[in-house]
Amino acid sequence: MSTTAQATIEPGLPVEIGRIDKELGKLWEETGDTKTRASLINLAIYTESAESVLANTNLISQIASQYACRALLIFAKPNAPQEEAKAWISAHCHLAGKGERQICSEQITFELDGDMVSALPNIVFSHLDSDLPLYFWWQGNFREPLDKKLWGWVDRLIYDSADWAAPAEQFSLVQKIRTLTEIRTILCDLNWTRLIGARFALAQLFDHSCALARVNKIERVSISCAKRTTGLLLLGWLAAQLGWKLQSLTGSERFLSPAGAPVDFEIQVIDGPTIGRCAFECTDSTLEIARQPGSEYFHARIDCEGISDTMMLVPAGKSETSEILVSELSRGGKHPLYRKALAVVEPLIK
Amino acid sequence: MPDTKEVNPLREGLSSRAMPQPCAVVIFGATGDLTHRKLVPALYNLAADGALPPAVSVVGFARRDKSDEVFRKELEEAARKFSRQPINDQMWVGFASSIFYHRSEFDVLEGYESLAKRLDELDAQRGTRGNRLYYLSAGPDQFPVILENLRKSDLNRAQPGSWARVIVEKPFGSDLPSAQRLNELVKEAFSEKDTFRIDHYLGKETAQNMMVMRFANAIFEQLWNARYIDHFQITASEPLGVEGRAGYYDKAGALRDMVQNHLLQLLCLTAMEPPAGLDADAVRDEKVKVLKSLRPITGDDVRKHVVRAQYGAGTINGKRVPAYRDEQNINPESVTETHVALHINIDNWRWAGVPFFVRVGKRLPKASTEIAIQFKAAPPVLFNVEGQTIDSNALVIRIQPDEGVALRMSAKMPGSSLRIEPVKMDFHYGTSFGKATPEAYERLLLDAMGGDATLFARRDEVEEAWTFVDAIRAEWDKNSDDLALYAAGTWGPTEADELIKRYGATWRRL
Repeated sequence: MSTTAQATIEPGLPVEIGRIDKELGKLWEETGDTKTRASLINLAIYTESAESVLANTNLISQIASQYACRALLIFAKPNAPQEEAKAWISAHCHLAGKGERQICSEQITFELDGDMVSALPNIVFSHLDSDLPLYFWWQGNFREPLDKKLWGWVDRLIYDSADWAAPAEQFSLVQKIRTLTEIRTILCDLNWTRLIGARFALAQLFDHSCALARVNKIERVSISCAKRTTGLLLLGWLAAQLGWKLQSLTGSERFLSPAGAPVDFEIQVIDGPTIGRCAFECTDSTLEIARQPGSEYFHARIDCEGISDTMMLVPAGKSETSEILVSELSRGGKHPLYRKALAVVEPLIK
Repeated sequence: MPDTKEVNPLREGLSSRAMPQPCAVVIFGATGDLTHRKLVPALYNLAADGALPPAVSVVGFARRDKSDEVFRKELEEAARKFSRQPINDQMWVGFASSIFYHRSEFDVLEGYESLAKRLDELDAQRGTRGNRLYYLSAGPDQFPVILENLRKSDLNRAQPGSWARVIVEKPFGSDLPSAQRLNELVKEAFSEKDTFRIDHYLGKETAQNMMVMRFANAIFEQLWNARYIDHFQITASEPLGVEGRAGYYDKAGALRDMVQNHLLQLLCLTAMEPPAGLDADAVRDEKVKVLKSLRPITGDDVRKHVVRAQYGAGTINGKRVPAYRDEQNINPESVTETHVALHINIDNWRWAGVPFFVRVGKRLPKASTEIAIQFKAAPPVLFNVEGQTIDSNALVIRIQPDEGVALRMSAKMPGSSLRIEPVKMDFHYGTSFGKATPEAYERLLLDAMGGDATLFARRDEVEEAWTFVDAIRAEWDKNSDDLALYAAGTWGPTEADELIKRYGATWRRL
């Protein structure tokens, strides 16, 4: 058993899959009363990358200190020639309160080789902490055919659309999964969660009376971002919230405001922060939030009649993957705005 | 109700609560302890979490002569010491630029008139839209003059489309007549909907969770009545002495300082009926009904139902501490109570015959505030027969520290013989949610800015609570020969143990 300070770098203690519960029980017996097991959710992570097993184990360790869980890390090798399933158990502990006790989250790591990958629901779901919701983080691409047995169990499906090489196809598969589960599964795109800082900053920008008075007079929006899908989601959110409708003309697109006025847009992909800049142009004013590489803040600027160069510093939000995931776990909710934003920009996703 | 005007469409879904409108927060008594330890760290944390409207200005109003810069520097030092989250230099620079200092005596009208001009200037510079939140954090003897001058200088009047609100710190009066006088003064300047009487206990996460636990979990509410509950124990203990509050405390005592406000508020949340809604008045209507149902403790009943005591010398955490009367700035012949234990009855249908035992004390062995619900024992058949005592169930809601909920139940010990022992199911906020919970003042400041008075006391609540407490004080004032003594570091006087023992119960071991 390890503490957060000495993060486990091995998947843990090898165990027979049929003896996981017994071995976990033994692990706790050995600790006496010095450690407390805690769990709020089942967090399953699926990966096909061997390198990410260690990274994910470290990530679980960081998450567990803030959000107690039973973690199920699944490393799948669907193309392996042999059919085999292996498991390891470990625990992530951290000192709580005034340091008088340690709180621990369990991790079960599975390696599924060859055809054993198709048995994923049976192997994994027999080791869930009962009555707790299942959050499933699918790292990598979704593939057809979709297994209803698998997806039917998932309460929250976590993925990161920023990583997708073919986002149009992947978004379509995600929608199919949601339909398979009769819309019970909540979609949690970390690419969307990553935008919380920028959305907060933009909301703060428009809290200013001068900016709010111009929210319906925007003529152009320019977004600089690290990944195109991230910029598109931000654009989709702005459009959905401000009532803009996408208009496709010959070879080019723009939005129409509720009053029917055109709103042009530009998305620039630039190495740097998730969102480097989001600027709005109106006839008599410019408004923007901008973030320098390495900075934890957006600088908000309002340049309009009467008030110019009003500088505001707004937190840019979390950027580490573990922080983004904790943010997602803590906020909860069904993300209706994500679905609205996605629907608006779907024709722009290639 | 929270403000809903001029809705920013980009705010939707970002938080479960509406972002308050930008405003100027004017703190009267800005050089005091509360501003440094609680208010400014709370405002900083809100700003750092992105929960504070960006254009909020903080204006400190106090007598001492100092510049904005000096004031900011002092607040920065305090914030670095007392803030829940570490101060980020870059963030602090931005936050500090919104802090200003206004020097004036509290009783000089010109000081308020110049404050009005300064606030107008800040409105123009920062877009605060004429919204004002006045925080009375000065000594309570200054409240009347501050309120009077706010009214005379028209600072209490909001411009059309804006608002002006006042937060009044405790103590809200020292008895019913003084509370009524203060309420009248407040009423002359601010309407009830713009008056926020703060009780920081109500801003604590677990106090708010009380409503969720009772009314979002069907299993508890079914049992929440005289049929299943034997009695309640509400405890607020602290190892601290009077610290820097000797002057105030020696006049107030534990009954006024803690019972009239914090503990009666917790009792109300515990005993009230489900409100018709979650709006401020629906919740406060139910709390007032509880206060109106408290059986008055008067005359000879005071000695029967209330124990007052004062700490003598003793040992706390391995250190010798002096007796209350030997503390600095305390009258050596003081008869002020530092510990009170009460047996309270609520005369309504739900709680007929269920005693509420309330105790509060200084220089007790540990800091703990909790509400314990002691359920009735299982019928004396099967396991609960003579010769085998089975502890009844207890549900404990820990308010501070280590916020959480615990349920004690009976379980069979493993083995061939039938041995039944109590076991505990324990939920700790800190264990399941590693994230630090916001300070009570953060929530309450944000609520006041948003116009949501749910977690603040209404005029009738305050006055009903004083009515209950004043009856006890009136009896105490006749003579003090019932004042018991307890050694610092113990759990209070034996008289308090006897008070609860008469009912066949004992105080919980904390």
